[in-house]
Amino acid sequence: MRFFRSGAPAARLGALGREGTDAYDLVDRLPRGQARIAAWNAYVCQTYADKLVDACRDSHFARSDTAALVRDLYALVPVWLERAEGAGAPRDLPFPHWHTPDRCWEQLVGMRETLEALRTYLAFDLAQTGGDEAELESVDDSLETVASLWIRRPPPELRSGIGEALRRGLDAAYALGQRLAAGGG
Amino acid sequence: MGLLRPARTVTTPSGDYWELYVSKTALPAWREGNSGFQPGMEFTYGTVGLFEIPFMVLSFLWSSILVPLGRILVLLPISVARGRRSHAVRIEALSPYPRRQLLLWMTTDVHKERVLDEIAAGLAQGKVVCPAGALYSGQE
Repeated sequence: MRFFRSGAPAARLGALGREGTDAYDLVDRLPRGQARIAAWNAYVCQTYADKLVDACRDSHFARSDTAALVRDLYALVPVWLERAEGAGAPRDLPFPHWHTPDRCWEQLVGMRETLEALRTYLAFDLAQTGGDEAELESVDDSLETVASLWIRRPPPELRSGIGEALRRGLDAAYALGQRLAAGGG
Repeated sequence: MGLLRPARTVTTPSGDYWELYVSKTALPAWREGNSGFQPGMEFTYGTVGLFEIPFMVLSFLWSSILVPLGRILVLLPISVARGRRSHAVRIEALSPYPRRQLLLWMTTDVHKERVLDEIAAGLAQGKVVCPAGALYSGQE
């Protein structure tokens, strides 16, 4: 059946992310400011792409829209890392999103695990800076919505609703992380 | 709670009547083809000959009755089988008159009763609510 599927092998996609593994610890080593914001952006892109690839490992294959988003995310990581290390020019690059509302199960799993990882990081960062945990409210709302609708084999209507809640949560987490990285509470 | 019997009936303060149905099966829609023939319009087509009328009627029966019926007979068992395996639940609110309206919510087995109660309570106050643990998909 694989012959008829469009997409990419998960292992080949995962190999694209090897250059960006520095993104996992760079953000913690930088002082708050523009460089740390760029490192945070790199961390989010790397985490999101890795989680999407991991979610496809069981089937060994990523759908074409998953492969496209993973490539976009991995392509952004070195750009943000360069910027974090002071080599790249300041740029305002949009956070990549899906172009269709229908999410498959693997995509939802990847998105949910990304959001949970970002939530853990942000809670830790807030605790370190003495920030208010209430700032995580919109991220937590998204995770609660997702948890309440999370079932095996969800129909398309539920998948699209869960995907939309996760998208909102990821946007909120991305923006909150940037604010914290800049030094704002 | 049968598929054909409403789980709740609600009358809004403005007098609108709603029936709430709970099911696990999304029934396939009745989709007619286009035969190019509209019953009752035979005499408005000046160029239609008497010999063409039986063919047009057969074409109408084929595309508007037999094909949609065959489609439903094929898709219905698949929909029922899918619904039985899934934990997803559809809650549909139908207002048959004065204007037919159909609203759809999706939820899960776990939240079904609470979500149904909240939707019914909302409609009783004339509001379309989206309870926690449900997705409002809008008008069908």
